[in-house]
Amino acid sequence: METLTLLALSFDALLNLSLLYLAWILLNCEDLLKAIVLFVAFGLLMALAWVRLDAPDVALAEAAIGAGLTGALLLTALAKLRVIETNKGTTQQLKQDSENFQTLHYMTPLALLLVAIGLGYVVFSMPPISAGLSNDVATNMGNSGVSHSVTAVLLNFRGYDTLLEMFVLLVSLLGVWSFGSTTSQHETTPGPVLDTLTRRLVPVLILVAAYLLWVGAHAPGGAFQAGSVLAAAGVLLLLMGWRPGGYLSTLPFRLILVAGPGLFAITAALLYLLKGQLLAFPVEYAGIIIFALETTATLSIAVILAALFLSEPPHSDKEHI
Amino acid sequence: MEVVFKEFPWVAVLILLPLLGGIVCFLFSGIAKFTGLMTVFFTALSVLGLGWQIFDNGVYRHAVGGWGAPLGIDLYADGLSLLMLAATAFVALGVSVYSAGYFERGYSTRFWPIWLFLLGALNALFLTADIFNLYVTLELMGLAAVALAGLAGGKNALTGAMRYLLATLLGSLVYLLGVALLYHGFGTVDITLLAQRAEASPVIWAAFGLIAAGLMLKTALFPLHFWLPPAHGSAPPPVSALLSALVVKASFYILLRLWLEIFGPLVSNTDVSTLFGLLGAAAILWGSVQALRQTRLKLMIAYSTVAQIGYLFLAFPLATAAGVAAWSAAMYLAFSHALAKAAMFLAAGNMLRFGGHDRISDLDRVVQRLPLAAAAFALAGMSIMGLPPSGGFIGKWLMLEVAIKQGRWEIVIVMILGGLLAAAYIFKVLGHTFTQAPSPHESKAVPASMEWSALLLAIAAVLLGFLAIPVLSLLNIGNPFGISEVTP
Amino acid sequence: MYFYALIGVGLFSVGLYALINYAHLLRKILALNVMGSGIFLILIALAKRTGETQPDVVPHAMVITGIVVAVSATALALTLMLKLAAETGRAELSEKDRD
Repeated sequence: METLTLLALSFDALLNLSLLYLAWILLNCEDLLKAIVLFVAFGLLMALAWVRLDAPDVALAEAAIGAGLTGALLLTALAKLRVIETNKGTTQQLKQDSENFQTLHYMTPLALLLVAIGLGYVVFSMPPISAGLSNDVATNMGNSGVSHSVTAVLLNFRGYDTLLEMFVLLVSLLGVWSFGSTTSQHETTPGPVLDTLTRRLVPVLILVAAYLLWVGAHAPGGAFQAGSVLAAAGVLLLLMGWRPGGYLSTLPFRLILVAGPGLFAITAALLYLLKGQLLAFPVEYAGIIIFALETTATLSIAVILAALFLSEPPHSDKEHI
Repeated sequence: MEVVFKEFPWVAVLILLPLLGGIVCFLFSGIAKFTGLMTVFFTALSVLGLGWQIFDNGVYRHAVGGWGAPLGIDLYADGLSLLMLAATAFVALGVSVYSAGYFERGYSTRFWPIWLFLLGALNALFLTADIFNLYVTLELMGLAAVALAGLAGGKNALTGAMRYLLATLLGSLVYLLGVALLYHGFGTVDITLLAQRAEASPVIWAAFGLIAAGLMLKTALFPLHFWLPPAHGSAPPPVSALLSALVVKASFYILLRLWLEIFGPLVSNTDVSTLFGLLGAAAILWGSVQALRQTRLKLMIAYSTVAQIGYLFLAFPLATAAGVAAWSAAMYLAFSHALAKAAMFLAAGNMLRFGGHDRISDLDRVVQRLPLAAAAFALAGMSIMGLPPSGGFIGKWLMLEVAIKQGRWEIVIVMILGGLLAAAYIFKVLGHTFTQAPSPHESKAVPASMEWSALLLAIAAVLLGFLAIPVLSLLNIGNPFGISEVTP
Repeated sequence: MYFYALIGVGLFSVGLYALINYAHLLRKILALNVMGSGIFLILIALAKRTGETQPDVVPHAMVITGIVVAVSATALALTLMLKLAAETGRAELSEKDRD
């Protein structure tokens, strides 16, 4: 028993120090490509940390979104940036932000060290035992319509946060589209490995997404994890060179994009009219409402995330400009 | 009929209507303009409905999902929320009518959905009683604002938007860390419950420091204002109006709300208030001097915002002795500044469109050919300078009164200096009206809707000066500023 | 678990340092992400103080929300960076417009 605890402790210590070390290296290394690769590794280690902290839902979200999709976004952005730099004949080295005054340059590390020490002290000053809202969550689980507590918080107890969050995703896509195209003519053709990999992986990813969505009601999983896994399938297809072309601007496609946030907002409004309360799911229907909201949310999240990765505005928008 | 109005879920309309309207604009770009205008119009009417509701019934609290704090999220509306919602509604109406004429087809389909989401985020922000929910609304507002700021493209606008994005993201993250500490220190993210549970402790101090720093950055309080002039100066004029009039006020509103309810009573030692006051004074002087030095009209107006933000922070040192009076004055100023600054950016947009440039030294040809824009600029300028009978005058007068009563002469002097500098930079523009100038060679017609929306907002800013008593009585519904005095 | 929270503080500080110190926008975006991870770590690590085996799940939901917000912000920032680079040739903020 004691050796097990010791083992766990040393694992935690190792994990923690690696996290901090990786963060330091990735932020200060010369090569941006290396920095991004290390960032993905950092995300995977974070996912491990979430598992160690009994947060499997967060681990899934981190692995899929934090490490996976963010990593893919960063890598494509870097590739596009390299093309732009080659075209413009500019190169960049690791450079300090000369906007910040020279004196500041010596003082920032010191000031930040003080801030860190202060925050560390505050963290330690927290009472060692604090139930937080765990008792409230436990008491009300029976009325939430699901048996998995994180899903209950995300979709029911604090569903209003999630409603607004869906709009955050949507607004970022509208923003990306409104800035216009960032791709140069440069297109790559996938090698045979990627090709085969995609053919095998895409069906698997769709199955995994469906499973995560379904299982979210009673075990770790749910709309965001399922949506990002589904988005990963889309990203693979996009890497293969598949392009949605005109689809992006069609109404059905736009409907899928807004289905998640839209249905959420309409549900909120309807429930206000029927029950006099925003997002007050009737207990007997809560499970089915949450499942409907999560399913549409999964589709919207997947398509929005994949569209963010593509980052090309739909054609019809370009014509107007 | 009256019962229907009193019970009607105005709060739900205020939040959900713009969000759903934005979706419709996105789905059917052909009717985006019409849908957008209708949405903004009915949202503004709902503010009226909510005002009636809380005037009759007192403050409004609604437990989303029926859970109630601390498990669920509560919505809350009192006089302070109402004032911010009203300012948002007025500016939204003016800017929307203006934008209907300003944005041409391609830009129009991109502008409306993002703007309606921004409006929904603002309303949601003013109506929530939950500090984590505030974080989500802050992010929705911030990302929408950045998307709008970069809408026109081009080097300057993109640089401004990028700087803005980095500042707003950093501000949100620092705020979020403060929220994390508060949650783990006191087991709730509901403002009212936090106010009951919180006690002076390292957690409170650290959370206050983080939340204040994050929000000061977002409010662009000197010396954290560096991102504002490029972003507000290079965005399309209607967007600049929204950013300067509403978005920076939203983060100030959160700071004020949390100060009044949670932090003020606990960390209310005079040092913090004095520091806020000092930064406010520095903002007034620095912002005004910089505004005077600008050669471009929109940048001048943007620096003027930096200065006017400073006045809001002067209320902190004054409020330690006279909370209600000082805060009422500050919020009156915030309201009039919202109207006046929106009018000013819109008028500048008209001049920019007409003459094709906004170089102040060459504006004479423009100003004389655009009498309505010049009038709008002049009326809005009255309010910014604080000349009677404008809303800005009432706000500044109320604040001066408090300062004189308390013998805070340093604040009186800063306020007067700020007013003089504002007069200087505004007359630098208006002076052109009276000089002889040859007719411009090339000019582009400005639609009447753009002229009149700017002028009407400016007139509203002046008329606000006659409405001091009703506005102040509405503002004090629910006693938002007296909390620290009633419950020690 | 305090150790995890302390590392969270460390990540926040390291990220903030890099955000201020480096000019390249891609690195600033990475720095913001690392800062966010630090905050999430503090939120989740301290949620284990329930005194029972089950942690407090409300912060878990908050962090999932935070991760989604972070990826949205990152996507917007990267696009803006690319547009800016296409315009100026550099993924940096120039000093000229600052005063």
